[in-house]
Amino acid sequence: MDAVVQALGLNATLVAQVFNFIMLLIFLRIVVYPHIVRILEERQNYIENNVAAAEEERKQAEALRQQYLADMQKAKDEAREIIQQATKAGEEQAREIIEAAKAEANRIKEAAMQDINREKEKAVAELRDQVATLSILVAGKIVSEKITADIQRGMIDEFIKEAGDLPC
Amino acid sequence: MSAAAGHEASQDMLTTVHHNLNVWGFPETPVDILGFPMNLKTLVMTWIVMALVILFTVSATRNMQLKRPGKLQLMVEEMYQFLRGLAYENLDPKKGAALMCLLFSLFIYLLFCNLWGLIPTMMSPTADVNTTLGMAIGVFITVQILGLYYRKAKYFKHFVEPFVFFLPLVIVEELSKPLTLAFRLYGNIYAGEVLIAVLLGLIPLTITIFGGFIASVVWLAFSIFVGFIQAFIFTMLTIAYISQVTAEHH
Repeated sequence: MDAVVQALGLNATLVAQVFNFIMLLIFLRIVVYPHIVRILEERQNYIENNVAAAEEERKQAEALRQQYLADMQKAKDEAREIIQQATKAGEEQAREIIEAAKAEANRIKEAAMQDINREKEKAVAELRDQVATLSILVAGKIVSEKITADIQRGMIDEFIKEAGDLPC
Repeated sequence: MSAAAGHEASQDMLTTVHHNLNVWGFPETPVDILGFPMNLKTLVMTWIVMALVILFTVSATRNMQLKRPGKLQLMVEEMYQFLRGLAYENLDPKKGAALMCLLFSLFIYLLFCNLWGLIPTMMSPTADVNTTLGMAIGVFITVQILGLYYRKAKYFKHFVEPFVFFLPLVIVEELSKPLTLAFRLYGNIYAGEVLIAVLLGLIPLTITIFGGFIASVVWLAFSIFVGFIQAFIFTMLTIAYISQVTAEHH
């Protein structure tokens, strides 16, 4: 054993080195080690928080997106409905306008017919009146003058001529 | 005969290089400190490395930023998270969290130790078998205590599994753990330092053939890699040993 120790050159340095290392170990444990552990823990927490926050935000964004999509769909539906309603209302209105126009046209036509009839009646009445007047005139002339064939001829011609001038 | 002579010559050369590199005047033999023989150079280098570790970690953890970590802070954080990943994978997170401080300190201390020897005239504390064996025994004791703490009396059962006759084998296995842990680290780092010295000593020869410093520079670059790897292996094995003794089911 002594020979081995001699050959290897072992001596009290061994104990001193162990002591040295233990001193270093204690120093590092007290001064250095807590800082390393602390900073690594802090960083781990920081990263975990960041990841959690990112996840949370992603979820919120997804929810928001779904909501927007739903809103958009709703808006589209509403727009389509409004357009349909408007189309229907427009058609209704067009039909109403056409109906009204037709009714108006009929009315005007009726009125025109009535006017025509009235005018016609008026003209007939006037003609009748004039015929009567002419008859009276002719009668008067027949009474006041001596009637000859020539006169009669002349009277008839005159009558016809007058009658021809009449508006009828 | 000639091989022995060659060995003599290389020893001479190494001694010369070591002697020339010892510009700080550290004594070659152990000196008495508090009545015990100790390697003064190893101790001083350890103190320097400890100061560097403290400087590095304290300046990295001062004014830590949550959103925009600085370069040092990021380095320490990444290192810590890397080790935490290893620990949580092999132990369960609860046990792992309890051990994180030890693992982190172990890794950063060994890393700085391994790299410190690459600076000319400096020496890795881990290039002294006392340091690595001390650390390994410390880890060994920690492992036994953790095994007892987490598994109580059941812990002793694994010594006699699967049969009672395995007891000597298991004991040898248990004892070989700290030894391999210590000598792996020591061997790698010490060999690295010896080769640095050898390559420096060989410069008179290589300067005309291999371009002098190139071999030395390549080896230094590789030693940086080795320093990281060995610190990682030591920490990883510590985790593995702890996970072996604290696992609930075998």
